[in-house]
Amino acid sequence: MFKYSTIEKEKDIEVHLEGDLDIDGTEVVKEELIPMLQEYEQIKINFEKVLFVDSSGIGLLLELVQSLQKKEKKVSIINVTENVANVFELLQLPEILGEEVFL
Amino acid sequence: MCSREFINEQPREINKTLEREIKLARNIQMKLLNGKQPYLENGEVLGVSIPARVIGGDYYDFYVLPDGKLRIVIGDVMGKGIPAAMLMILTRGAFRSAAESTHGPGETLTAMNNAMYNDLRTLGSFVTVFCADWDPKNNTLTYANAGHNIPLTVTSEEDIAEFPKTKGVMIGGLPDQEYSEESLELDDRGFVLFYTDGIVEAQNKDGEMYRMERLCDVLLKSYQSNVKDIKESIVQSLNIFTEGVPQRDDITMVLLKSR
Repeated sequence: MFKYSTIEKEKDIEVHLEGDLDIDGTEVVKEELIPMLQEYEQIKINFEKVLFVDSSGIGLLLELVQSLQKKEKKVSIINVTENVANVFELLQLPEILGEEVFL
Repeated sequence: MCSREFINEQPREINKTLEREIKLARNIQMKLLNGKQPYLENGEVLGVSIPARVIGGDYYDFYVLPDGKLRIVIGDVMGKGIPAAMLMILTRGAFRSAAESTHGPGETLTAMNNAMYNDLRTLGSFVTVFCADWDPKNNTLTYANAGHNIPLTVTSEEDIAEFPKTKGVMIGGLPDQEYSEESLELDDRGFVLFYTDGIVEAQNKDGEMYRMERLCDVLLKSYQSNVKDIKESIVQSLNIFTEGVPQRDDITMVLLKSR
């Protein structure tokens, strides 16, 4: 099951994702995270506990980050595990979302 | 009095219609996907796609070029099921028209991205595609990649490797993309495997993945086999590993062997 927890400090928030990021994450990302994160200015997305991501998950991540970037939020993705980093690299996500997003 | 019966009847009718239409859609997809495999004088090629659901979003295709080369493409649409299948047909159309008017695999991917980018952005989707031209005269593959898994080349019973990497953003990722090309001279007796991630990410009942190591083992043992037997060995190995656990993702492979 895909879930998340948050640590907030004024206008900054760190979102800890947990579980496989795939089609089952659709509701969490689209209905909870995207609306909720609009209130913050600096958003860190922590991937430490995400061990698998498939193409549907990548689609969700793109939607999440790009919708926040459109609103000029500063988004960063941190602590990506090796397997997931390989997928990001294959798809060249840093080129699509911006090198500065991946810390 | 009979209104209740009527109400109950409607969903059953709708289900029946839907079921029939999905079956027809599956037929269309399977016929387009598993069409005639090209006959090659100096080699053999085989493609197969096994959807996780009734229909799927994986894609492979062949196109014989006027100069005798064979253009091979394999792709994976984001997601699965009916939405992915609709975009798979779009991908096929883009490949077929690009294959006719472009000189190499890099240009083919650029043309596909140009044709599909706006639609894919509107739909929040993307497709990973690997495209290669096989020249039977010098047994060389020239290829370009749009975010797809790197194919494998088997050159002996002990040697297997990924193709030298070539980078490229997936189709629908960014506009106006150029895709660089690489070339690889194939082993006279070896073979290559193009595949989608559904193979290495197939899971057993404990949630363990099939992984690259198992795939490599099967491929090395199949060094002497023909493409049909190699395909059978991969499918059998996957079936033994997954023990009937329903497939999570579409599985697609293309095998090419020179002779």
